[in-house]
Amino acid sequence: MKTDRGFLRMLERMKRILNNPDGRPGARAAQRRLMAWMLALTGLLTGCNLEQNADVDLPVLPAQLVVECYLEAGKIPEMTVTETVPYLSTPTPTILTDVTVTLTSPRGVTETLRFQPGQNPDTRKFFTHRGTRRLSIQPGDTWQLTVTDTKGRRVMGTATMPATVPIDTIEWMFNNRPEPRAMVTVKFQDPPGVGDFYRFQVHNDSISDDPDVEYFPEDRLLDGQLVTLGTSYEFAQNDTLIVSLFHLDQPYYNFLRSINDAQSANGNPFGQPAAVQSTVQGGIGVFAILNYQRRLIIVR
Amino acid sequence: MRFYSSRAALALLLLLTPLTLLAQNFLLRGAVRGSDGSALPGANVAVPALGLGAATDADGRYELSLPAGRHRVVASFIGYKPVNEDVNLRANQRLDFTLSVGTELQEVVIEGRGTLEQKLQTTQMGVERLSVREAKLLPALFGEVDILKTLQLKPGVQNGGEGTSGLFVRGGSSDQNLFLVDDAVVYNPNHLFGLFSTFNSDVVQSVDLYKSGFPAQYGGRLSSVVDVKLREGSRDSFGIAGGLGLISSRLAVEAPINKGKGSFIVAGRRTYFDVFTRQINRLNDDDPDYNPIPDYYFYDLNLKANYQLTDKDQVFLSGYFGNDVFGFNSTRGFNFDFHWGNRSATARWSHVFNPRLFTNTTATWSYYTYSIENKLDQFSFGLGSNIRDWNLRSDWEWRPNDKHVIRFGGSGTLHHFGVGRLQAQGGSFSIGQNVEYDGLEGGLYAADNFTVTDKLALDYGLRLTGFQSGTNEYGGVEPRAAARYSLTPRFSLKGSYALMYQYVHLVTNSGASLPTDIWYPSRLSVKPQRSQQVSTGFSWLIGSGKFLLTDEVYYKWAQRQIDFRDGAQLFVNPELDAEFLFGKGWAYGNEIYLEKKEGKTTGWLGYTLAWTKREFEPQRGTTGINQGRAFFPTYDRRHNLTLVLLHKLNKRVNLTSSFVYTSGNPTTLPTGRIGVQDVYGGELQAVPIYPDRNSYRLPSYHRLDLGVVYKLKPWRKIGGESDLTLSIYNAYNRRNPYFIYIDEVRNEETNLPESYRARQVSLFPVIPSLTYNFKF
Repeated sequence: MKTDRGFLRMLERMKRILNNPDGRPGARAAQRRLMAWMLALTGLLTGCNLEQNADVDLPVLPAQLVVECYLEAGKIPEMTVTETVPYLSTPTPTILTDVTVTLTSPRGVTETLRFQPGQNPDTRKFFTHRGTRRLSIQPGDTWQLTVTDTKGRRVMGTATMPATVPIDTIEWMFNNRPEPRAMVTVKFQDPPGVGDFYRFQVHNDSISDDPDVEYFPEDRLLDGQLVTLGTSYEFAQNDTLIVSLFHLDQPYYNFLRSINDAQSANGNPFGQPAAVQSTVQGGIGVFAILNYQRRLIIVR
Repeated sequence: MRFYSSRAALALLLLLTPLTLLAQNFLLRGAVRGSDGSALPGANVAVPALGLGAATDADGRYELSLPAGRHRVVASFIGYKPVNEDVNLRANQRLDFTLSVGTELQEVVIEGRGTLEQKLQTTQMGVERLSVREAKLLPALFGEVDILKTLQLKPGVQNGGEGTSGLFVRGGSSDQNLFLVDDAVVYNPNHLFGLFSTFNSDVVQSVDLYKSGFPAQYGGRLSSVVDVKLREGSRDSFGIAGGLGLISSRLAVEAPINKGKGSFIVAGRRTYFDVFTRQINRLNDDDPDYNPIPDYYFYDLNLKANYQLTDKDQVFLSGYFGNDVFGFNSTRGFNFDFHWGNRSATARWSHVFNPRLFTNTTATWSYYTYSIENKLDQFSFGLGSNIRDWNLRSDWEWRPNDKHVIRFGGSGTLHHFGVGRLQAQGGSFSIGQNVEYDGLEGGLYAADNFTVTDKLALDYGLRLTGFQSGTNEYGGVEPRAAARYSLTPRFSLKGSYALMYQYVHLVTNSGASLPTDIWYPSRLSVKPQRSQQVSTGFSWLIGSGKFLLTDEVYYKWAQRQIDFRDGAQLFVNPELDAEFLFGKGWAYGNEIYLEKKEGKTTGWLGYTLAWTKREFEPQRGTTGINQGRAFFPTYDRRHNLTLVLLHKLNKRVNLTSSFVYTSGNPTTLPTGRIGVQDVYGGELQAVPIYPDRNSYRLPSYHRLDLGVVYKLKPWRKIGGESDLTLSIYNAYNRRNPYFIYIDEVRNEETNLPESYRARQVSLFPVIPSLTYNFKF
C-alpha cells in the first residue's frame, strides 16, 4: 500500500479541520475534530491511501437562476447573475446575456441595472450588472430586487439595512512565548432585543484575501450585553489587521450559515446535508444590504 | 423457561408408567452454576427420555414440571462439560448443578442440540441469544471482541456504517433500542463513533436481542431490546483473566466472598492510542509549525458482586463506569477538552417464596454525559448535556400449574434531562444557560405464557405505560401477543404482535450515534413515538436436528417519528421543539436464518430482504422532508447476507470466518453547484446544492473476516490457560465506501478550479491483529 499525494492531501485536510473546524467552539466543531482525528489516525495506522475516485451518476436538474447582490450606502450597486450547474461539470465561465435586473428603492423608484460584465478594482469581485449612480441608504430602508430572463424565470427579493452597531473597543495582548503572538479582542454593545446577528472578521494585511479569523455570533444568549469577541494567539508583531464587524439581518445570516453547512456536509459523513437558504424567491442566492464597522490596527 | 415435548416419548411413557403417577406432576427446580460458582444463564436442563427441557433464567435458575418417577436429568451449557443426575421425583424437589469447563467440541455439541430445540419450541419470535464465548471466537476489528458487532451479523440487524457498533433493527433508528446492562439503561453504548461498544467481553455473560414479539416486561423503545447480563465472579476460587491487544488491554479479577456465599468480579480495559500519539508529538517538539495530534483514549470499569443471604434470598450489586477522553493544547494557546461517558449501578434482591412464586426487586441508576470545554487565556467556553435516571422495578413470576407461567410487575423511572448547558466567560462577560427537564415514566405489566396443548402455546400480555414531564402527561396501552403451533415435533408455525410507546427521544441529525446526541422528553408538541409490529414465520428442525431453519416475515409501522428541519439549531436551544419535524415510518421484510450448532463445523447463514421508509409532510412553515414524499433513511438496506463459520481443527486450533454483504446505504450527494463570491476577500467558492435527502445509494458493502484461535500450552502449576487470537479484518482488502464527497481539482499554476470529481473514502483496509488472552 503506497502513501501517495492524495493520502497526504487528505491528512492535510484532516489537520486543517482539527485546527479550525468551522472556526467555532461548539458541539458540531467537536464532532468534526473527532472525525478528522479518527480518519487521520486510521490512515497513519494502516499507512494506506483510503481515498479513490468514484463513478457517480448524479441526476441533472433544471438550471435555476443564481443571484448575488450586496448593496452599500454610497456605492454604485453591482450584482452577479449566474445559473446552477451540474456539480461534476467542468468549470466554464458562462455569462447569461438575456437577464434584466431592476432595483426598487423604498420610495418606489425603479432603476434597471445595466448589463455590463466586469470586475470591481477594489473588491476584485466580478459582476454582470451595474447601476449608474451611488445609492443613498439609511438603516431600516427596504429595497427590492427583481431579476427576469427571456426563458420566463423570475427571481425576487427584498432586503432591509440593519441598524448600525458601533465597535466599542479593540484590544490586543501578546503571550510570553519566545516568538510572542497576539490575540485580539473586540467589544461592542448588543442592542436590546433578541434577533441580532453578526459576522466577525479579521483580515491580515488585505481584505482581498480570506480572513484569518471569521465567525458568526448571534445574541440569543448575549442579548443587550457588552459582547467580547476574540481570536487565539495567532498574530505576529507589527501585523496590520483589518477588523470588521457586520450587523446582519436574519435572512442574510441564515444564508451565510446554510452555505457554510452545505460546504461542511460535503466530506463529513456525519453532517446532515443542508439546503441553501436563499434570501430570494424563485431562484437561489442572496440580496442583502451591508452595514459594517471596520477598523485597521497594527499590533505591536 | 420453555417446555418442549415429544409425542413418541409421551406414548412410551403412557405404556411404562402407572396411571396414578402419570396423573401427578412435580416441580424440579434449582440453579445451574459454573465450577467457579457463577450463575449460568441460558444453560439447558433436560430430561432426554421425555423430550422435556428448560433454559435457565438470568440468575441461572431453572424449573421443570415432570411426572413423578425416576428421571435422568442433564444440565449443559456451551463451554462446560454436561452433568447427568438421577432423580426420583416424589414431591417438588430442588436439584442444583455445578458444571466444569469442558473442551470446545463437547460444548458445541451439547449447547447446539438444546438451544435449537428450545428455539423451535418457544413462542417468542425475533429473539437472539448470544453467548460471549461465540463472540470471542469470531474475528474482530483490531482484535477487539464486540458483542454488538456480533449481533450485527444476525438477520434483521443493520449497522450504522463501516466498523460501527450501532444497531438498526428492522427499520428502527438507533435511538429505538433499549440497551440494558443488568437492568440499568445504557444511553450511549458506544466509544469513538461506535467503533467499539461499551460492553467489555470479559464480564458479559449473555446477550438477548429482541426484535419482535416483545415480552410485556420490556418497554420504552420501539424497535429492540438488548438485554445484557454480566458475569458473576467465581464463588470458589480467586481468578485473573485478561488480554493484550493491538489497541487496548484488559484485566478482570474475581474472587469468592465469605467461603463461597458470594463472589465479586472487577474488570477494566483501556486503549493506548494516546501513548503512541504522545510519542509522535514529543518527537516533533522542536518543530514550531507542528500541530500536535490530539490525545484520545477510553476506559471501562465493571464491578459485580453477589451474595446468597439465605436459601431463598440473594442480592447482587453491579456497576459500570466508562469515559472517552479527547483533547489537545494548540500552539496558539487554545485548549480543547471533550469527554463523554456512561455510568450505571444496579442493586437487586431476589426472593423465592415457594417453588411456584418468586420475585426480583431492582433499583438502578443510569447517567450519560458529554462535556466540551474550550479555553484560551481568560476566555472559556463550555458546552454539555446529560441524562440521569433513577429506576425502581419489581418483577414477579408465578406458576399456578403446569400450563401457565404468569409474569407481572411494575416499574417507575425518574428521568432528569440536562438537554443543554452552556457557559462562557471572558474579560467583560459571563453567560450561562441551562435547559433542563424532569420526567416520570411508569409501567405496569402482566403476561401469561400458556401451554394450551402439546401443539399450541400462547404468550399474551398487556403493558400500561405513562409519562409525565411538567404539565404534559401521556399514557399508552401496549398489548403483546405471541403464539406457536407445532405442526410436527420438528416444525412450528409462529406469529406475534406488539405495540410499543417511546417517551424519550434522541436528538441527532446524523445517521450514526454521536457522543453529542441529546436525549429529550415527550412534551407538549413532542408526542410519544408509537409503533406496531406483526410478524409471522416458521421454525424447522432439519438434518437430524443439527440445523434449525427459521423464516420470519414482519411489517412494522410507526407514528410520530422525529427528524429535524434543515439547518436546525440543536445545541443549547431552549425552544428545541421548534426544530423538530414529525412524520411516520414503516418497515417490512423477510429474514431467513439457518443455524448449525453441532459438530466440528458450526455457524449460521442469514439473509434479509427489507424495506424501510419514512415520510414527513409539509409542516410548521417548512416543506417537510423531500416535499413530503417518502424516502429511505440511511439505514435502509435492501439485501443483507451473512455467513458465519466456526471450525474446530483440532484440540488447539479453531478457525473462524464471517462474510457480510449488504446493499449500499442511501446517502445525499450534491447534484448541482453555485458559485458564491461573498462580500470581501477570498476566492469564488463552490457551494453544493443538495436535492432530496438520501436520493443516492452508495455501492454495496462486502467484507470477509478470518480468524484463528490457537490455544497455548496450559500452565498446569497454576491451572492457567492462554491463547493467541489472530484476526484478519477485511481479508481481501475491499475498499468499502464510508462516504463520498466531491473534490475540487485546481490548476497548479493558476490555482483556479479545473474540474470536479467524486471521491470515495474508505475507513478500514485489510487489518490483521493479534491478541493474547490469558486466564488463571
